[in-house]
Amino acid sequence: MNIRVRIACMTLAVVLVGGLGGAPVAAAPGETISLAFLAGYKEDVLRANIAKFEQASGIHVQIDASPYDDLYKKTLLSLSTSANRYDVLFMDEPWVPALADFLAPLDDITKQMDLADFVPSTVAAGRYRGKLYALPVDPNVQLFIYRKDVFQERGLKVPDTWDDVLHDAQALNDPSKSVAGIVTTAGSDQQTGLYMLLLIWSYGGDVLDKNDRPSAETPEARRGAGEFVQLLKYAPPSVQSYSFADVNKAVQLGKAVMAIQWASGARPMEDKANSTVAGKLGYAVMPKGPAGRDPMRGVWTIGIAAKTSHKDAASKFVQWITGKEFGTAAALYPATSSAIHSPRVSVLQDPKVDAALPYAPALLANLRIARSRTRVPQWPDIQEALRQAAAKISTGAISVPDGLKELDASLGRIMAK
Amino acid sequence: MERYARGGLPWLAPGIAFLLLIDLFPLAYAVVISLYSWWLVRPSDTRLVGLGNYAGLVTDPQLAHDTAVSAVFMAGAVSLELVAGLFLAVVFARRARIFDLVRPVILLPLFITPVVSGTMWRLMFHPDLGIVNYYLRRIGIAGPPWLSDPGLAMVALVLLDAWRTIPFMFLVLHAGIVSQPHEFFEAAMVDGAGSWQTFWHITLPLLRYIMVVAVLIRAMDAFREFDIFYVVTSGGPGTATETIQMLNYRIFGFGRVGLASALSTLTLVLVAAMSLALLRLLGRERTA
Amino acid sequence: MRRSARAAGPALLAAVVLAWTLIPLVWMLSASVKTELQLYLRPPRWLVVPPVWDAYRQVLFQVPFAQYFANSLVVAAGTTAGAMVLGALAAYGFSRFAFRGAATIRFLILMTRMVPRIALVVPYFLMMLRLGLLDTYTGLILAYVSFALPFTIWLMIGFFDEVPRDVEEAAFVDGCSRYRAFRDVVLPLAAPGLVVTGIFAFLLSWNEFLFALILSGVRSKTLPVVIAGFNTDVGPLYNEMSAAAVLVMIPTVILTLVLQRHVVRGLTLGAVKG
Repeated sequence: MNIRVRIACMTLAVVLVGGLGGAPVAAAPGETISLAFLAGYKEDVLRANIAKFEQASGIHVQIDASPYDDLYKKTLLSLSTSANRYDVLFMDEPWVPALADFLAPLDDITKQMDLADFVPSTVAAGRYRGKLYALPVDPNVQLFIYRKDVFQERGLKVPDTWDDVLHDAQALNDPSKSVAGIVTTAGSDQQTGLYMLLLIWSYGGDVLDKNDRPSAETPEARRGAGEFVQLLKYAPPSVQSYSFADVNKAVQLGKAVMAIQWASGARPMEDKANSTVAGKLGYAVMPKGPAGRDPMRGVWTIGIAAKTSHKDAASKFVQWITGKEFGTAAALYPATSSAIHSPRVSVLQDPKVDAALPYAPALLANLRIARSRTRVPQWPDIQEALRQAAAKISTGAISVPDGLKELDASLGRIMAK
Repeated sequence: MERYARGGLPWLAPGIAFLLLIDLFPLAYAVVISLYSWWLVRPSDTRLVGLGNYAGLVTDPQLAHDTAVSAVFMAGAVSLELVAGLFLAVVFARRARIFDLVRPVILLPLFITPVVSGTMWRLMFHPDLGIVNYYLRRIGIAGPPWLSDPGLAMVALVLLDAWRTIPFMFLVLHAGIVSQPHEFFEAAMVDGAGSWQTFWHITLPLLRYIMVVAVLIRAMDAFREFDIFYVVTSGGPGTATETIQMLNYRIFGFGRVGLASALSTLTLVLVAAMSLALLRLLGRERTA
Repeated sequence: MRRSARAAGPALLAAVVLAWTLIPLVWMLSASVKTELQLYLRPPRWLVVPPVWDAYRQVLFQVPFAQYFANSLVVAAGTTAGAMVLGALAAYGFSRFAFRGAATIRFLILMTRMVPRIALVVPYFLMMLRLGLLDTYTGLILAYVSFALPFTIWLMIGFFDEVPRDVEEAAFVDGCSRYRAFRDVVLPLAAPGLVVTGIFAFLLSWNEFLFALILSGVRSKTLPVVIAGFNTDVGPLYNEMSAAAVLVMIPTVILTLVLQRHVVRGLTLGAVKG
């Protein structure tokens, strides 16, 4: 009997030893809020500036940073199961419709804010079904990037339409010198689906129609995807293995004359230590197709959990991180990999910022006309289906019409779930 | 012996109770969840669908594809590890000094964090900054884009698994060989048997039981491997290296909890079947 | 002549094995002390003089690395303690008592090791949520003890079996209870083996990734998650990733090298004994 008691005690001891290591983070004197954030360079920018907010407000911010692929999973799991782990959430804009049910509407907060300073399309990134659930922090948009020096030398004008791009890409492509006409990704990287969608938009197509029904199988979509496949003929030979970082590397090492790349990739292109073409790049508005000019928007936004018990502190933080002071500090942060830009017109037009970021005017111009991916809660699933279809189409594993047919079928399954 | 027959329970109880609570309870919970259509994005729409999730999974060609990927990885990794491990074990069998020299280094890959070894592999096989392709080019071979080629990405992953676990095979088989009675070998030598014959007719049969155990342990580990896939390819390019575990993670990532749990349950059934086969096989080996 | 040739073969093989094992390690080490541009230089520079410490500076001071390191240590220590206590008790039970179904129970325990962890993530998350243990050391430790327990029990059965029963019998004659005999006689005799078992449990916890990724947060985040964090939306930051990986690797390497003999013994015991 004695043995049993002792064993029970030992077991209890084990559980207690574990229990002792509860909360190692020292409690701050004031209020503490918990923030789900993206790990990596954006985290660095935030951590470098957070002390200013903490000192001014007396609010302590716990930053839980996760890798990109896992941030959505963790955020969704935590919000949906009432785990209440986070008071404030950093979200890529396609996640907003899926998470909107768990977010507090921000219309109260914005009454006290000067929304007019934000580029309007960035505010739209946080809106879903007429309500504002998130505010923009880091606006991202696809840019058209070209080598000013090469274009000048060859007497070429900056292309205005996709056909111009195709024409110039053909003329500038020189495999013998390892210089490609244009660089994007082609293959199974996430970006390929987004580039293809960009072209599909410009030709008047989309993956979902106005009533959110699959619409990948239209003549417009076929023309847009077809144009994308045409462009890839003048891309670097190993483009099928490219990802976001490789597009950047190709530009930085002078291996491509034109590129479509997100603004978040432009920072390292202007870093003299890592880029051979710093200062030689031009940034333009996205070329247009028959249906218009549609640079894709991808704004990082900030929202507040509906169930938070620190609503005031969370609101203060949201106002600070979307504010001018942080926006300017972030835009000027000496990062080499990438940065946080600002959704505020006043920051993007600040001469100091323009001097540090030569692409700031193009960022602003493209943001003003930017288009968002369809706002449906199923978007993460859809983007995965798009990625798989684009991988097959761009590598020639399947024809454009067959690929779009497959995509349409996948979209049907996703929307039916 | 009678003295030992009773009284074992209090010793076992804490451990077994712990496993039941922390391991089996969540498993049972997963089975329950698998009967529901539960999308994290719309928790209020959660409803009982019985075997609906299973029906959806079984008809999804992706599951068949990913099962094949898991099987290829398992077969490729384990056979490479067995052959290499056996080879090393035999060569170093009677050379204690050389063995002592390599042992500390050989142990390292086994214990290095899988996420860390995955990082090494990305650095090694990267088309531009990797050294594999650079040195291949030096000897006149145009290096392929390893991690973005569907077939070669799997090869790279198999090599990584081999890098990590050949040491396990080697050490286990080495211990097995060293523990074999010397008389057998001496008798064989006296009979004039060559080293190849000795290996084939004496070493190998004596090692059979150990080999079966080691291979099965490794096969199970390879089946549930997650970390290196996550770090090195994330299941890509496309879904070329997406195993069942990665598929599960992807489905879970979209918030389709019911569907993911159904896949977990299917996986568990598969593991149970493999375990049973293992039990049978071991029983037979031991009596043989 | 022939003799030296025969010795040269294995020596050469040993060299190949060493190279195969060490090259990936050294290349990562080298990547951690370079700039990004130096990483892309061809031909590859194995050694950059002077080394560039930017990546380490970034890893150590931009994120609360020391906190994550401490988290990893506490969780690993808790896991080791828990698995050792529960494991030793159960293993002693299996080693010293014969009862019906013992073999089956032992086998079932081993089988729990084979369960893919992804299958447990969601239910475990919900369970920890109900218990209020999300993002705590306890939550992670409970999970890791359950992962470590099966092999802990199996290894320890082997080590206890090696302790002769006569020793305990002598203690009983002296009036010791079974528990006293276990604690004062058997445990010290089996200690070397127990140390090995403890190392395995420690490393399991130190290296675990998936549960740490989903369950941990600001208060309990462990190191493997930090490495994965350098895989950003603009691509992997290879230098920082390498530096973080090197830092995470250091304790593992030290433990393995210092205790290598014992580790080999623990590794081979289970399989060889069958």
